[in-house]
Amino acid sequence: MSIEFSRVLDQIPPSGIRKFFDLVIGSKDIISLGVGEPDFVTPWGIREEAIATLEQGATSYTANAGLLECREEIVRYLKERFNLSYNAKTETMLTVGVSEGVDITMRALLNPGDEVIIPEPGYVCYHPLVTLAGGVPITLDTSANHFIPDPKELEKIITPRTKALVLCSPNNPTGVVIPKETLEAIAALSKKYKFWVITDEIYAELNYEGYTSYASLPDVKDRTVLLSGFSKAFAMTGWRLGYICGPEALVSRTLKIHQYSALCAPIIAQYAAIEALKHNLKAVEEMRKSYLLRRNFFVKKLNEAGLPTPMPSGAFYTFSSIKHTGLSSEEFALNLLKKERVAVVPGNAFGVCAEGYIRCCYATDMDQLKEAVLRIKRFIKGLK
Amino acid sequence: MTKHEQEVLSLLKNNARISVEDIADSIGVTTATAKKLVKKLENDHTIIRYTTVINEDKMNAECGKVKALIEVRVRPEKSRGFTGIAKRIARHPNVIDHYLISGQYDFLLIVEGKNLEEISRFVSEKLASIENVQSTATHFIMKTYKEKSVLIDADDELERLAIQP
Ligand SMILES: Cc1ncc(COP(=O)(O)O)c(C=O)c1O
Repeated sequence: MSIEFSRVLDQIPPSGIRKFFDLVIGSKDIISLGVGEPDFVTPWGIREEAIATLEQGATSYTANAGLLECREEIVRYLKERFNLSYNAKTETMLTVGVSEGVDITMRALLNPGDEVIIPEPGYVCYHPLVTLAGGVPITLDTSANHFIPDPKELEKIITPRTKALVLCSPNNPTGVVIPKETLEAIAALSKKYKFWVITDEIYAELNYEGYTSYASLPDVKDRTVLLSGFSKAFAMTGWRLGYICGPEALVSRTLKIHQYSALCAPIIAQYAAIEALKHNLKAVEEMRKSYLLRRNFFVKKLNEAGLPTPMPSGAFYTFSSIKHTGLSSEEFALNLLKKERVAVVPGNAFGVCAEGYIRCCYATDMDQLKEAVLRIKRFIKGLK
Repeated sequence: MTKHEQEVLSLLKNNARISVEDIADSIGVTTATAKKLVKKLENDHTIIRYTTVINEDKMNAECGKVKALIEVRVRPEKSRGFTGIAKRIARHPNVIDHYLISGQYDFLLIVEGKNLEEISRFVSEKLASIENVQSTATHFIMKTYKEKSVLIDADDELERLAIQP
């Protein structure tokens, strides 16, 4: 027997933020701006429904694709909120978070050597999951274009092997929302060069200046995979529920993987999601408003503290340049944590193109944000 | 009400001590504008008073205070309906909140007193003696679970991971 492990796996570098875990664990009085989730717990109505469902004995598997009622609610919600049209039966399936959605979409689409273009800075899971699926991740640097994928730059790196492009808007880590005109230009390229667009819209509800879903553009449906879920909008990160919407040819294939690798998404989460979509959109709006106020406050304070920070139009992250400090993003984050006990995520966790930046999450108490900014300001002064 | 006014109220409702500067930064206006917005809401009595949510069980145990909820049935007056009687009752310093309600009773009062006797005395001497008050039902409050949307004695929050991508 060979003791060698998967070579593809070992080719993926370890997560850059592991060392931060060790530093943060067990330490008190740390202000964490390093989280990636809401500071709200799931609205009570949703939790209560889950408890009631559990009491009734909903403890079984569901259909592989998920409860039809849940998928029908999702379809209705997507139509109402984002003007999207899907057939609940054939064009949707539930996943264990968007994370699984990304994984099985890549595995359903890619053949060895197929290229997937990933805009950077970007969320951490796309690169490794493309690699694991046998594909080749190709980076599209957005840092020179206000972190918006530039269709001209995109066209330059398209090759005959280009299989798909990943979009994430609103973006983690930058908070950027891709404007409609850019989406349209990308749609034209997708048509011309025949590649898929995988659009991760997990932060769609958390937009502050309007939002267009890529999947809502005319004539894109048969080459578009919409990934979204309940984690961020409904403050349901721990429930592990997401969904894939796309043409039947794609969804039937992702479902084929899912039936073996996950069997189904958690049943309690599915019932909770029905309740969420039916009766809790108001709670989503309240949370959105609360993030909005904190965004305005925090961005102003960061700029005053000496960290140039553009106003993000979605999600709950700020993305600040630290280039003028002369430190790498990792040095900055580590020293800030050690000296001032403020945890942020160094840009380099989100790709090489994100070096020179740090990501802060403002889904935290206003007093904490205030104190964090004081500490960051003192830290930057101390560098000079 | 404008969007900014709503935002000001939501900030103040959550923290009555938030500074005008922080309000301004949060809603994206100048400090002068924020000041004006607050003044306007104060002047038109949308903001009535700045107060504090207190764990009353704690305070009352130490200061000796009890609270009761009193339902009151009244016969409305010909000319003024409930208003005249309501004003007489609401003025009483023991009365903390006073509502006109639907159902079996007409008024719901929340009343505070030094001890049970003081509240009993209020009911028998002040309240029941008012002409047109037909009957009352007094419920003493024994424990507070939630006050002004705040859970009292809430369990400690579970911690989130401090660093996540
Ligand atoms: C852009 C993006 N996509 C996907 C995920 C994963 O979400 P889920 O909880 O649905 O797996 C996250 C979580 O941080 C994210 O930021």
